[in-house]
Amino acid sequence: MEVDRVDGRTRNQLRPLACSRNLLNRAHGSARWSQGDTIVLAAVYGPKAGTRKNENPEKASIEVIWKPKTGQIGKPEKEYEMILKRTLQSICLLTVYPNTTTSIIVQVVNDDGSLLPCAINAACAALVDAGIPLKHLSVAICCCLEENGTVVLDPTKLEEQKMQAFAYLVFPNSVLSVLPQGPSSVESEPLEHGIITSVTHGVMSVDDYLHCLERGRSASAKISDFLRRSLQSQLPSDRSKAA
Amino acid sequence: MSGKTATAPTTYSPSPTQKKRQPIFKDVDWIRPDGRGFHQCRPAFLRTGAVNAAAGSAYAEFGNTKVIVSVFGPRESKKAMMYSDIGRLNCNVSYTTFATPVRGQGSDHKEFSSMLHKALEGAIILESFPKTTVDVFALVLESGGSDLPVVISCASLALADAGIMMYDLVTSVSVSCLGANLVIDPISEEESYQDGSLLITCMPSRNEVTQLTLTGEWSTPKIHEAVELCLDACSKLGDVMRSCLKEAASASQE
Amino acid sequence: MGSSGASGDLSGEMEVDAFRRLFPLRFYERHLLESVRPDARPLGRARDTTVALGAVATADGSAMAKIGCTTMLAAIKLEVMTPPLDSSDEGSVAIDFHMPPICSPIVRPGRPAEVAPVVSKQLSDAIISSGMINLKELSLVSGKAAWMAYLDIYCLDADGALFDAALLAAVAAFSHLQIPAVTVNDDGRVVIMSGENEEGKLLKDPVNKEKRKLTLTCIPFSLTCILHKNYILADPTAEEESVMETPVTVVLDSSSRLVSLYKPGGPVLAYMSAVQDCVALTRQRVKELQKILSDAISDMEVD
Repeated sequence: MEVDRVDGRTRNQLRPLACSRNLLNRAHGSARWSQGDTIVLAAVYGPKAGTRKNENPEKASIEVIWKPKTGQIGKPEKEYEMILKRTLQSICLLTVYPNTTTSIIVQVVNDDGSLLPCAINAACAALVDAGIPLKHLSVAICCCLEENGTVVLDPTKLEEQKMQAFAYLVFPNSVLSVLPQGPSSVESEPLEHGIITSVTHGVMSVDDYLHCLERGRSASAKISDFLRRSLQSQLPSDRSKAA
Repeated sequence: MSGKTATAPTTYSPSPTQKKRQPIFKDVDWIRPDGRGFHQCRPAFLRTGAVNAAAGSAYAEFGNTKVIVSVFGPRESKKAMMYSDIGRLNCNVSYTTFATPVRGQGSDHKEFSSMLHKALEGAIILESFPKTTVDVFALVLESGGSDLPVVISCASLALADAGIMMYDLVTSVSVSCLGANLVIDPISEEESYQDGSLLITCMPSRNEVTQLTLTGEWSTPKIHEAVELCLDACSKLGDVMRSCLKEAASASQE
Repeated sequence: MGSSGASGDLSGEMEVDAFRRLFPLRFYERHLLESVRPDARPLGRARDTTVALGAVATADGSAMAKIGCTTMLAAIKLEVMTPPLDSSDEGSVAIDFHMPPICSPIVRPGRPAEVAPVVSKQLSDAIISSGMINLKELSLVSGKAAWMAYLDIYCLDADGALFDAALLAAVAAFSHLQIPAVTVNDDGRVVIMSGENEEGKLLKDPVNKEKRKLTLTCIPFSLTCILHKNYILADPTAEEESVMETPVTVVLDSSSRLVSLYKPGGPVLAYMSAVQDCVALTRQRVKELQKILSDAISDMEVD
């Protein structure tokens, strides 16, 4: 495929990924995730005793606090918080620690496009780092749709602004899940084909969206490989540090 | 496209700000803008059960004044407070941003909230729900004058709909003094030119006043006249509200 | 109804209402087995929907939308602004969604509902990105003055599918919006043309000679579905939303293009087939809503 993006990537190419964990001393778990120049730092505190009012005390409660790079939080940040909260709720095993609250603080270090997917990936890595029991990992990706209908993955901010539409997609990654496979995979579609979260902006045709889904899913395999590798590689070093 | 909201430009309403002409309210004989007689109230439209999510609710429309009141509870007191033998009443009145001709902020109306609380407090049998709170929330959809009396009357109807025990329905009517004349149930335009206003909240069948607010310049005989007018209108409004409740009850029985 | 047959260990002789409160999930699953919902709807059917235009006299355009018990009141007020330099011949739209304490037992005064800003953001995304409104039509004097349309949507009764009802009310309010005739006065401010000075012609130039309506293209409509196991429940009530926690909102415009597909997490994964089913349900629903809206508009014109 020809190179036609400003930064010399092909349409299907992701920006370089980087993930480092256990950066913060006081947090129970933390991770810094970067996709190119988009960098997000996530910290996990908890599980702490008690849930807030209006939350189900029979389950663990998840709380997300979004810290923008500068300025105050507005409506978009509130929406991000809500999406992150709902997404993380769906990957956590909430019944293991009932009547507790786990706080995830997401600090935007730098925004260069695909901010929300980057934050979701960071939060997922931070949850692993904190040892919160998860059903499976989640992998988030941003797919952009150009005017002519081609799909571009992991756009930078500049690209996002030029695009006709884009979709933030979150897929599960459960190759090694401990859960029985029974109820979760329906109609012979594997678990990885389900969408945890989908948020779209801009107008596109339904076919284009389905196309985005396909491309996003295949690219998410790469990210999930990376996520798994980076989580595993750091485990031994953590142990040695603790020892 | 999202960046546009970041810098909210200053805007203004194109409606003329200064009033066109001073109305002839000061004359002895004039016609009210909506053609009513001085001692004639606006036609009232009342309906209970406007909000399904609430324990009780009512909608009231007096001319252009449109109000919804929801009642929640009795439920657990929000503030962790000491044990109390009697229940608590919590009131809140807010306006929509489009309630007034010029777009407002849609914020809470603190003064009306506390006036509503005082008006209802005396009529509710607080002993019937110890330790708990009854919340009375009002939203003024459109403000067309005499907002507070409409809110109070509507709130008592909503309380009755919620099955909260009361000594009697609470009805409220206000009178404006414009020059030599007393006009009952004033609209916004009349309120803005009034010399004084009198608001009475009462329990019509017990003939008890729960709240009386008097502002502006009044002579003693005028006050007497205004009180008589209000009490008379309150008892009539009480009948209308009673028949509204009876209708709702008979409709639900069928 | 069907739950009397739900003979479980504990629930054998329990009253239906008690069973519903204690075991909401089993109560619903028992219904879903029979492909019916507690309010007697089939799974894919939305609740009765009504739209009334012109509900607020003080606004330039307004509408009330009801989906089942969920009630939304939307009103647009037009104000004048100086357009920003980069879009000097365009007006602007500011959308806000309010959940006053009257609408639900969860909302308390001084403590706004968590979902309100999120719905607000979703609404402005859907309305602005659908391109329904041509912002150029909101221009008055290029570079000098343009309309700012403040759209405020109030939830009067919250019983699920808030976004659907709010979007319907918002769209209906725009179709009711009448731009008033205005002129520039001596101070350079834009003022409403009233009957008197129109005759006198003492004002220089009427900027907008007569009342007009916006031309709306590609109107977006939405349907929220709840995914639960393999079931898809269209247009959930508040109770259904709280028991089964995976909502999917699909927004399609009148030419069937996808404006938004919104699935914020939830325990159930959306597979390709479920996504396509939701889109198909929304397509049907868009047709229903288009008819409801056009009926409301023609009713208004007859009056």
